[in-house]
Amino acid sequence: MSPEKEPRHPFATRLTAERAQEFVMFGLLRGMTFFVLFCAAFLFWDIISKGSSKVFEGDGLINWEFLTEHPQTLHVIGEGEDEIKLSSSNYYKLKDEKMLNKWEEFRQSDGHGTARRELDARFYQLQNEWSKDSLLVADEKFLLRERENATNKFAFWKEMLTDPKTTAEDFEIKVEEVPGMVTQFMLGHFEKERGRFSLVEEKVTLFRATHYPKIENLSLAHAEEVEMEYLAFLTEIPEAYNQSIASFGEEAKSSYDEFLQTEGPKEFGRFAEAIVAYSAARNVLLGPDHDLENWEALQASLAPFKQAMAVSLPSKDYAYSGGGIFPAIIGTLLLVIGAMTIAIVLGVFCAIFLAEYGKAGKFLSMVRLAILNLAGVPSIIFGLFGFGLFVIFLDWNVSLLAGWFTLAFMVLPIVITASEEALRSIPQGFRESSLALGATKWTMIKTSVLPFAMPGILTSSILGVARAAGETAPIMFTAAYAKRSDLPWEGLEHWTDFFFQGVMALPYHIYVVSAKIPQNAYTADMQYGTAFVFLLLVVGVASLSIILRNRLRKKYRW
Amino acid sequence: MQEAITTSPASSPTRAEVDSGDPAIRIRDLDFLYGSNQVIHNVSLDIFPKEVMAFIGPSGCGKSTLLRCLNRMNDLVDGARIGKGSIEIHGVDLHDKSVDVIELRKKVGMVFQKSNPFPKSIYQNVAYGLQIQGVKSKRVVDQKVEESLRKAALWEEVKDRLNENAYGLSGGQQQRLCIARTLAVEPEIILMDEPCSALDPVATGRVEELILELKNEYTIVVVTHNMQQAGRISDRTAFFYLGKLIECDLTKKIFLNPSKQQTEDYISGKFG
Repeated sequence: MSPEKEPRHPFATRLTAERAQEFVMFGLLRGMTFFVLFCAAFLFWDIISKGSSKVFEGDGLINWEFLTEHPQTLHVIGEGEDEIKLSSSNYYKLKDEKMLNKWEEFRQSDGHGTARRELDARFYQLQNEWSKDSLLVADEKFLLRERENATNKFAFWKEMLTDPKTTAEDFEIKVEEVPGMVTQFMLGHFEKERGRFSLVEEKVTLFRATHYPKIENLSLAHAEEVEMEYLAFLTEIPEAYNQSIASFGEEAKSSYDEFLQTEGPKEFGRFAEAIVAYSAARNVLLGPDHDLENWEALQASLAPFKQAMAVSLPSKDYAYSGGGIFPAIIGTLLLVIGAMTIAIVLGVFCAIFLAEYGKAGKFLSMVRLAILNLAGVPSIIFGLFGFGLFVIFLDWNVSLLAGWFTLAFMVLPIVITASEEALRSIPQGFRESSLALGATKWTMIKTSVLPFAMPGILTSSILGVARAAGETAPIMFTAAYAKRSDLPWEGLEHWTDFFFQGVMALPYHIYVVSAKIPQNAYTADMQYGTAFVFLLLVVGVASLSIILRNRLRKKYRW
Repeated sequence: MQEAITTSPASSPTRAEVDSGDPAIRIRDLDFLYGSNQVIHNVSLDIFPKEVMAFIGPSGCGKSTLLRCLNRMNDLVDGARIGKGSIEIHGVDLHDKSVDVIELRKKVGMVFQKSNPFPKSIYQNVAYGLQIQGVKSKRVVDQKVEESLRKAALWEEVKDRLNENAYGLSGGQQQRLCIARTLAVEPEIILMDEPCSALDPVATGRVEELILELKNEYTIVVVTHNMQQAGRISDRTAFFYLGKLIECDLTKKIFLNPSKQQTEDYISGKFG
C-alpha cells in the first residue's frame, strides 16, 4: 500500500477492495454455517444429555419402566443422598411387601394367639344375630321408632303451617314465605333419610319424586296426605333391609371361614369390610342404641389385626412425574401409521391424476394453487378444522380416526407435490414404450410408472412422517388425551371402538408435562426423557423409510 | 456388415419392386397439425408387406410425426390432429371410431430413438407385453421370450443372465432388447424411429443386420438421418422436405438417379 513497499513481481498479492470483500464474505459464510452447525449440535446435545438420565439408569442400563409403563405419580421417599424415587405401582408394591412382613411378624408374635381367641369368641356371639326371629323383633322396633320420629317431624311442620303468623315471627320472615320454608325443611328431611337408608336409597328417591307436587305446593292438607303416605311407606324398608342384612351376614360368615383357612391380610380385609357393611345396615334397622356392647367388643378384637396391616411409608408425591410413556409411544406410532396411510393413498391417487391424466388448464392450475395454499396453513388451523369437522360435525369425538384424518390433511400437500414430482421425473420413454406395446393408460401407470416413482414418493413421505409425528396442534383437539393408562387395544367392547378412542401422544405429552402440571424438581427429567425418546423414534421411522427407499432405488435404477 | 450390404435391395428384387399385392399401409392426402401448426401436407404413400421403407429428410420435415401417426402415438400429444386424408392398414381407417388403439398398437409395434428398456430384468422386459395382455402360463411366456430374443439375435448373448437388470447391457444390446420386446407381442408392422442414432458403428451394424433378417416376416418402416443406412437396409425410400413428400421410389433409384432436384441436392449434401 505505502509507496515505499514496491511489489517484488507482477503477481504479488495486493490488498484491493475486491480482495477485502471476498475475505469478509468468506468469513461471514463460514461463520454462519458453523453457527447453524453449532445450534444443531447444541440442540441434540441438550436433549440427549438431559434426557439420558431418565432413559438410562445410573448404571447405564435402559430404564425399561420409563419405556413400558404408563404415567404415574412419583413418590419420593427420604431426602438427599438416601432419596428413593418410586412410581405409584412400585410404591404400592413396596408398601404391600412391608405390610406382609409386618403381618407375618404379628402372626409369629405371642399376642397373635390371644387376639385370635378373642376374635373367635366375639364373632361366635354374633353368629345368631341375623336369624329370622331376631329380625322380626327388630322390624317391629324399627317401625315403632321411625313412625314416632316421623310423626314428631310432621307434627312440627303441621304446627308451623296452621299458625303461619307465629312461625313468621319466630323465623323473622313474611307470612307468605312460610309454606316455602316448610317445603325446604321437608325436602331436606327426605334428603337426609335418603343418606340414612342408603340401602334403599332408590325407594326413598322414588317416594320423594312421587309426592313432589304436593311438597312443592305445600298446605296443611297436603302435609297430612304426605304424612299418611310416608308412614305407610316406612313398612317397605325393613323388608328390603332384612334381605341385605342376611346377605351381608352370609358374606361375613363365609369370609371369616376363608380367613380361618388362610390367615392373610387380604382375607382379613374382606372380612373386616363385610363386618363394616353388616354393622352399618344393622345400625339403621336396630337403632343406634341397641345392644352395642357386643359390637364394640368385636371391633376391639379386630384391632390387633388392623394394627398389623397398618404400614406407613411416608413419601412426597409429585403427580405425573413418575412411571413411563409407553401409551404415548404407542399412540404416536398409531397416529403416524394411520395418518400416513391415508395421506399416501389420497396423495398418490391425486398426484397420479394431476401428473398423468390432468390436462393443462384452468382446473389444474386451480388445484395446484389450492395445494400450495394448503401447505402454508398453520397446523393449529388444521387442528381447529379437524375439531369442527370430525370431532363435532361427524361426531367422532376425540379419537384416533379424527386425528388420522386431521394429520393426513396436514401432510397431504407435501405428499401430493412430491409424488407428482416423482411421477414426472419418470422418463417419457417408459410411458411411450409401454403404450406402444399395447398397454392401456392405467396398465402403463401401474406397471411402468408407479413402481419406478415409488422411491421418490417414499422420500416425500419421510418428510410427512416427521411432520405428522411432531405436530402437537392438530391432535390436541382431535386425538390426544393428557393421560390414559389403558393401551389402545385394552378394554374394547367392539373392534370398531378401536378407531373411536383417544390416545396419548409424545408431542402432546411433552406439552402437558411442561405446561399443564405443577413444576417440580422431577418434571424436567420427564420432559427431556420424553423428548429424547421422541427424537429417537422420529429418527428411527425416518431411517426405516430411507432404507426402504434405497432398496427400491437399487432395484429400479436406470 | 459385409453380408448386410450384399443382401441389399440392389441384388434381390422385393415385392414392391414387382409392384404386386395390396399395400400394408395406405396413406392418402394426409394433412396433420399440432394445434394450428401444420406439419404434414397432403402426403400420399403406400407401404407394402414385408418391405423395408426408409423415411429420410432434414430435421423437422415431419417424417417422425408421420411414423408416429401409423400407430397413433400422436394421440398422447395435446392438440395433435388429422386435418384431412386417411391412413389405412389392411383397408381399415385408423381414425375410425371402431378402432381400438390398444389393439392397433399390438399389431403396429414401435422402437424408439433412445433405447428405453424398463429398469427390470431382461426377461421381464421381453415378457412385459405378454403379461399386460394377461398371459399367465409360465411355459408360454418362457417360450415366447426365448423366441423373441432369438429373432432379435440377442439370445446367445443374454441367455445366461436373463434375470439381470436390462441396464447392465450395452447400448446396442439394449436397443435389440427393445426390438425383442416389440416382437414378443407379435406385430405385423414395426416402426423404428432412428433406431441407431445413439449407437456406435459396430452396434449399428448389428441392428441393421437384424432389420434385414426381420423383413422376411415383418413390414418395417425406418426413420433415419443416416443416408448410408437407408441405402444399406431399405427397399424403398421416401424423401420428405418441409412436411411434404418430395419423392418415394426404390432406394437404388433415389440414390443413383433421383427424379427431383431437391432429392438430389439433399442426397449429395448440398443442404440439410
